[in-house]
Amino acid sequence: MTAFWLTNVRLEKGFLYDKSEQVSSTYTEICHLKIESGKITEISQEEPSEEKQVDANGHLLLPSLREMHIHIDKTYYGGPWKACNPPIKGIFTRLEEEKELLPKLLPTAQVRAEKMIELLLENGHTHIRTHCNVDPIIGLKNLEATVNALSKYEDVLTYDIVAFPQHGLLKSDSVQLVRDAMKNGATLVGGVDPGTVDRNIEKSLYTIFEIAAENSRGVDIHLHDPNTLGAFTFERMAHYTKEAGLKGRATISHGIALGDLQGEDLANMANLLKEQEIDVSTTVPINRTTIPIPTLDKVGISVSVGHDSITDHWSPFGTGNTIKKLSILAERFRMVDEYSLSRALKYGTGGVTPLNDAGERVWPKVGDDATMMLVDATCSAEAIARRSTVQSLYSKGNKVESKHIDTVQA
Amino acid sequence: MTAPYWIKNVRLETGYIQDEEGNYETKTELFHLKIQDKKFVEVKNSSYLIPAEEETIDAKSFLAMPTFKEMHNHLDKTYLSLDWKACTPVKNLAERLQLEAMELDELAPTTEQRASKMIELLLSHGSTHIRTHVNIDPYIGLKNLEGVRAALENYSDKLSYEIVAFPQHGLLRENVIPLMKEAMESGAHIVGGLDPAGIDKNIEKSLYEVMDIAAEYDAGIDIHLHDSGHVGYYTVDKLTEMVEEAKWHNRVAVSHAFSLGDVPLPQQEDIAAKLGYLGMSIMSTIPITKTLPPIELLDRNGVNVYLGCDGFYDSWSPFGTGDVLEKVTRYSEIYRKSDERGLAHSLKYGTGGQTPLNEDGEVIWPLEGDEASLVLVNASCVSEAVARTSKREAVIYKGKVVSGQL
Repeated sequence: MTAFWLTNVRLEKGFLYDKSEQVSSTYTEICHLKIESGKITEISQEEPSEEKQVDANGHLLLPSLREMHIHIDKTYYGGPWKACNPPIKGIFTRLEEEKELLPKLLPTAQVRAEKMIELLLENGHTHIRTHCNVDPIIGLKNLEATVNALSKYEDVLTYDIVAFPQHGLLKSDSVQLVRDAMKNGATLVGGVDPGTVDRNIEKSLYTIFEIAAENSRGVDIHLHDPNTLGAFTFERMAHYTKEAGLKGRATISHGIALGDLQGEDLANMANLLKEQEIDVSTTVPINRTTIPIPTLDKVGISVSVGHDSITDHWSPFGTGNTIKKLSILAERFRMVDEYSLSRALKYGTGGVTPLNDAGERVWPKVGDDATMMLVDATCSAEAIARRSTVQSLYSKGNKVESKHIDTVQA
Repeated sequence: MTAPYWIKNVRLETGYIQDEEGNYETKTELFHLKIQDKKFVEVKNSSYLIPAEEETIDAKSFLAMPTFKEMHNHLDKTYLSLDWKACTPVKNLAERLQLEAMELDELAPTTEQRASKMIELLLSHGSTHIRTHVNIDPYIGLKNLEGVRAALENYSDKLSYEIVAFPQHGLLRENVIPLMKEAMESGAHIVGGLDPAGIDKNIEKSLYEVMDIAAEYDAGIDIHLHDSGHVGYYTVDKLTEMVEEAKWHNRVAVSHAFSLGDVPLPQQEDIAAKLGYLGMSIMSTIPITKTLPPIELLDRNGVNVYLGCDGFYDSWSPFGTGDVLEKVTRYSEIYRKSDERGLAHSLKYGTGGQTPLNEDGEVIWPLEGDEASLVLVNASCVSEAVARTSKREAVIYKGKVVSGQL
């Protein structure tokens, strides 16, 4: 790819402080970035003379976003409207529905997944971690659709596919299927509630980590079980993470019980998770207790956000807009001042923010990948509070454009 | 009034159908609506041939919904149209109030401009009625009222509105009652109040004074009540007593009312029955940081529950979009209304009660004779619009396109 200059880019430069040494605002400067071989090779304030230039019109440059928990294989998105059926038997209504629904959705699974990827790209994402059903109903067919969809977008995003035994790894006898999934494109081993769903916490966790170790892959487990049951499961998960030598490669999805723990219990749990560098992903739910995101962050646990669903048979809500999700996170935790708002960005970018906590620019630097987005805002804090629109997205120097997926027929 | 005309190809809901398993779906069909003297005078199926000489505009098959009512806002406080500004961190409410007081003068010259921007935003999302609170306090006097009135008067052909005189810095402090009365003589329609316990430190006197001003000006009442738990509950209970005594039925609202969600169920039921009997209203902004009043229980008891965006993007909060439909989405998500009818019926909180279909699936809107106001939405039915916060294409108020294009 030939080199070009992205001109008139607004970069954050530092914080301004008031008399009481609180951050009062963010100051920015207009810069020109040379992009070469997918990297930022120069950051300059001098007007470039080279011919090939793209004008950023003063829009703010931010790191691109990461969607860390979604199910792109199981969605109504891109198809006709469908509300959820009333969940008469709770989660089991949904699981029963899948017996008919998954085969019915299969013919359009790939195109729906692609539609969802397009939505996520529009909203500034360059990384997607999707869970993908691996179960006796659909076998590896959803995985095939997911791999096909994502591989079409390999030029503009990176991804992880979690082999997700939705109907229970043990309960639905899916161990072999998950093993097969790991040989057919899945990059992480999934699981769901070893207690409530699998009814055998030890065996469920042991098996998950065994498959992960066999394949030298990480794990990402859905854990909805509440309070002490959830906490016990985290504890055992930390144990198996250590045993399997998977420090830094295990993720708790949802981790509802983290919202039930308080005081010393929460601190002890956080330390346990931190020791194994277990990270957490959350949808920032507004219909139940949200896990204490800023508290977890403070003790050094990496927290990421994800949408889980855009619209499917589990939930009709969801936007695919991580900036909006971060805005809700900030609202939920009353992060209303410039500094807190600016910090909230990290939950959507894998920890990257233009300014560090001390207000020094740490991104972008010469040599960084030119994977980034331009937004219609004057600073990160504004982008989050006001839910600014993503104007354009770059992945390793390439402007991301739609691949124009056909509409899904009913 | 302009000549009669037709909006053709409007998608209207016509009923529910059930699939084999008993799950509901919404039926819709295309209609032509004839508008005359600000009313729908004919509702015809799209097979009807509109006489060639009659004027038409094309709704392009977009779904029609009743317009929204923004029932709790503070048009005078927003920073909209100014440069970005986050909130200043504070330790407590007293500090927040202090900061606001210091800022009021600085913001006063741009009140009309900022309020207009907020009105535009609300209108673009489909609200054609705005109830705004306006600070009446020792710092700003009546200046914000003037600015907000000027802004609203400019839009009086595009929406209806009510202004609440709001004693943000306390009603019982020096000189505020005379200021409130002056406000009522200068364009405010409704008497406001604020936390009779938390702010005024005299529940009975605070409520009494509000009632007294309302009686003097023959006006409605809308009190901000953030006070939580039983003190908030007692305040509402005491207010119902005064409303009954004064025979101020159907004229009194409590905004926020978090406390109604804090008390045990029997007390919730008791207060809901009283509020319902007195025709009182509850305004909620569907916060995600507070207890919500028991909206469904209130609704079942005949209490009018309305939604509002609250003041936003101001010294209190940097968030907010000015979209009442998004508040309906948020309500539905919080209360897990995710089935077809549950989603569709949630709409009523955003429209002041109106929905295209009633609970039995019968068409109750729009009927011939109804005011010709509607929002056209890019959705296949109301439940989709609620779940997906679908895009607004155009807003029609009393027969006139007031936002968007057709």
